[in-house]
Amino acid sequence: MTNGLVLALIGAALAALLAGIGSAKGVSLVGEAASGVVSVDPSKFSKVLLLELLPGTQGLYGLIAAMFILIKTNVLSGNAADISVQQGLAFLAASLPIAVVGLISGIMQGRTAAAGVSITAKKPDHNGKAIIMAAMVETYAILALLISVLMILNIAV
Amino acid sequence: MKGTKYANAVGAVRAMENSLLGKSDIEQMINARSKAEITAMITSGKGVSAPEDLSAVWNMLKEYAPDCKELEILLYRNDFHNLKAVLKAIISNREPDQYYIAPSNVGLEELKEAINSKDQSGLPEYMRKAAADAYELVTRTLDGQLSDSLIDRSALEAMQKSAAESGSEFMQRYAQLQTACADIKTAYRCCMLNKSAQFMETAICGSHDLEKDSLIKASLSGTDQLFSHLETTPYSEAAALLKMSSAKYEKWCDDAIMELAESARVLAFGSEPLAAYYIAKETEIKNLRILSVCKEFGADRDTITERMRKLYV
Repeated sequence: MTNGLVLALIGAALAALLAGIGSAKGVSLVGEAASGVVSVDPSKFSKVLLLELLPGTQGLYGLIAAMFILIKTNVLSGNAADISVQQGLAFLAASLPIAVVGLISGIMQGRTAAAGVSITAKKPDHNGKAIIMAAMVETYAILALLISVLMILNIAV
Repeated sequence: MKGTKYANAVGAVRAMENSLLGKSDIEQMINARSKAEITAMITSGKGVSAPEDLSAVWNMLKEYAPDCKELEILLYRNDFHNLKAVLKAIISNREPDQYYIAPSNVGLEELKEAINSKDQSGLPEYMRKAAADAYELVTRTLDGQLSDSLIDRSALEAMQKSAAESGSEFMQRYAQLQTACADIKTAYRCCMLNKSAQFMETAICGSHDLEKDSLIKASLSGTDQLFSHLETTPYSEAAALLKMSSAKYEKWCDDAIMELAESARVLAFGSEPLAAYYIAKETEIKNLRILSVCKEFGADRDTITERMRKLYV
């Protein structure tokens, strides 16, 4: 295994790890707020569940970026490509947008969605507004994923 | 992330807020023909509203809140009221049980034990000195009013100290408002009863908004001086109402606390929404009590409406 491949794998690991941590933190925060509502009014379960799902997407984006790196470096096929240090660093750099933005936006989307749980608890008819506000945070995770994927796909191996 | 540890509790409180009585519920009750009709509305309607249910509300908040230290400040008034009740009952060889107010941070047995044994170490730190001083004062002077004033002032001081220590702006404002409302009332009464400067020194607490020395000085010069002094403070509106009637003043004080509670309606995290819910429930019970007394004595619709406290929802 070359040093370049190690760097590329570190990039893949960071994308999955940091974005996953962001999602885990975000989902757990919304889960706490949602449990409070459901413990008093179980009929609101389905409405708060939608909000709880939102911060979970960053983890998926991290997984997608990591998969692209693994595919591009042929690690999945069991016949890893001969990656130079420069190429390895390029993969590592390409993983950073979704790794860092995934971490931060996951946590922040969790906060927004947890605040939205209060809207759902008090005014269930306005649940859509709470979802829209939390979904706005998603934009930046999508942009980061887009940049990460474009960079990964354009690294010549 | 500040306050996120309360996420679960805030979620639960927001769901419970739906069961608070709203404007239209109160309107309906005002239009009721008798006290019995109001009782029927309460039992058939939403939410819990009997006075004893405040303990249930408190226990529920304690269950949900990961840390109750800040919220306990809301019960200081009850704690110190209970201290007064136990002290008086023990001095006059009576049982204090019927005067005990719940919910409170300190149990009746703990209070009895502390007073009987003259050992205050079993009480929370914020009560120890007040309990010792009040006992010494009442046994030395046999002046129940003076010891009550000392305990009332100590309650306000304890609220302000604990609120400052908690760092919560909400609780600090709550303590300040409670102190100012109590101080203005005490100063006015002292004025009317020609109380000495020494008594006022014991009874008036003072706060950031309402400085103790200048309030005492103004009170000693008579009611006109007191009201002119209050006009220069943030409590000029309250003072104008106190001039008219004490009922209007009491309503202003309760509404000011409710306005503070309303500021927590927009918060998604922190202990403030929990405190606000407790205040809302307390006010709801007070409104129902006023309503039921007014109906019993046949008060007209306008009088009842005028006395109703501001609602949280």
